[in-house]
Amino acid sequence: MKAKRILAAVAACAMIFGALPALADDQGPPHPPGETAQVYSDPLAPFNEKMFWFNLKLDHYVLHPVAEGYAAVAPIPVREAVGRFFDNVNFIPRFANNLFQLRLADAGGEVARFGINSTVGVAGLFDPADHWFGLKESRNDMGLTLGHYGIGQGPYLVLPVLGPGTIRDDVGYAADSAMWPLPYFVPWYVWFPTDGGKFVIEAVNYRSLHLDLFEQVDRYAIDLYGAVQDGYLQRRASQLRRVNE
Amino acid sequence: MKPRAKSTILLNHRLLSGLLATLLAFAATSQVKAMYADGGPMETTQLFVNQALKIMADKQTPVADRQRQLRQVIEPRFDFTEMARQALGPHWRALKPNQRQDFAEVFKGFMESAYLSKIGEYSGQKVEFIKQSSLGDGYAQVASNILQPSKPSIPVNYLLEQKDGSWKVYDVTVDNISIIQNYQNQFNRVINEDGFDKLLADLKAKQRQLASSSAG
Repeated sequence: MKAKRILAAVAACAMIFGALPALADDQGPPHPPGETAQVYSDPLAPFNEKMFWFNLKLDHYVLHPVAEGYAAVAPIPVREAVGRFFDNVNFIPRFANNLFQLRLADAGGEVARFGINSTVGVAGLFDPADHWFGLKESRNDMGLTLGHYGIGQGPYLVLPVLGPGTIRDDVGYAADSAMWPLPYFVPWYVWFPTDGGKFVIEAVNYRSLHLDLFEQVDRYAIDLYGAVQDGYLQRRASQLRRVNE
Repeated sequence: MKPRAKSTILLNHRLLSGLLATLLAFAATSQVKAMYADGGPMETTQLFVNQALKIMADKQTPVADRQRQLRQVIEPRFDFTEMARQALGPHWRALKPNQRQDFAEVFKGFMESAYLSKIGEYSGQKVEFIKQSSLGDGYAQVASNILQPSKPSIPVNYLLEQKDGSWKVYDVTVDNISIIQNYQNQFNRVINEDGFDKLLADLKAKQRQLASSSAG
């Protein structure tokens, strides 16, 4: 029932945003000089900027200090193993979206990776699928699937906590999150705190492995918001080019 | 004896002209080779990147000297004016000639301080060159990877244009993110919100900050 409702919501969003022009969607591989790339339109900028600075403060006062403390007690190999564990657990959307895009070899590879790494790889803490069998992870998500089938990305949108995205990518994120099985099997007072904890630990662990992430960007940025916005949009455009190949 | 002498002369003549032809051919090919070694986009990029790596690895020489060496290696290989023009995007056309010149100069100083400040961070990473591909007449892309021990490698692509007989870099992409396009978005926002003069001031301030962070 819940899944059906979500699918209906996704379909509705797809119809609405499919009609929107794609913003800078096909900024192919860099143009020869003289052809200047188009400038992004950012209709939600006033909201986005507020959320961007909120997220930056949240990171500065909460996430970064916590990640730093965590990094001080947990050595890098441990944190990398934790990262691999979550990566392994989150395999369903990767598998599903490879399947949706008919990337059957990648979808099959994801199943094999999950099987190998969950068992031989000790619940995903290690990655023997890559090291022994050369099976690399095939990153994919619903935002890319929607883009693959020609749905425009809609306006750029910065959400509190979740960070930069586009309407399409955020809808995709909601759909991918709905593939997480726990809420379908246990009552809410079990899955809600569990998933909350998972979200927080994942975020802290990731930040602990990239402690100077913002500092590196900020050091060379004239306008931090613009740098992050363009970095996000260029990265997604290049991922979409990859799945469209 | 006479015919023989003649044939000897003839032989000598033939030998000589043969030798001359070979020499000429050799000279021509070596000239082509020299042109190639200096001219291909891949060779050009490889050459200056390897020179730059060597300078960055040389921790004995004082930083200031190495920065001067690095600048000498990089400067002739980058078309900073073209970079500045693209980084301004549509705003470039609205500028007066002297404003363009000001901006190009400030932007060049900023970019130089940015890469020179990287000198202290170098810790033996190696660079592998993968391929060159054409981006149309007179434009090329050179793909490379920065290899880091026990970490995923970083794909870095150089975009080059042929200008006055040599290849010059006009953009660099890191992880498929174009640096110039990224600055274009930032500059566009600053100009739209606070105007061109604010952008110039911000660039100058950032340049000083980068320069002072790498001097010590």
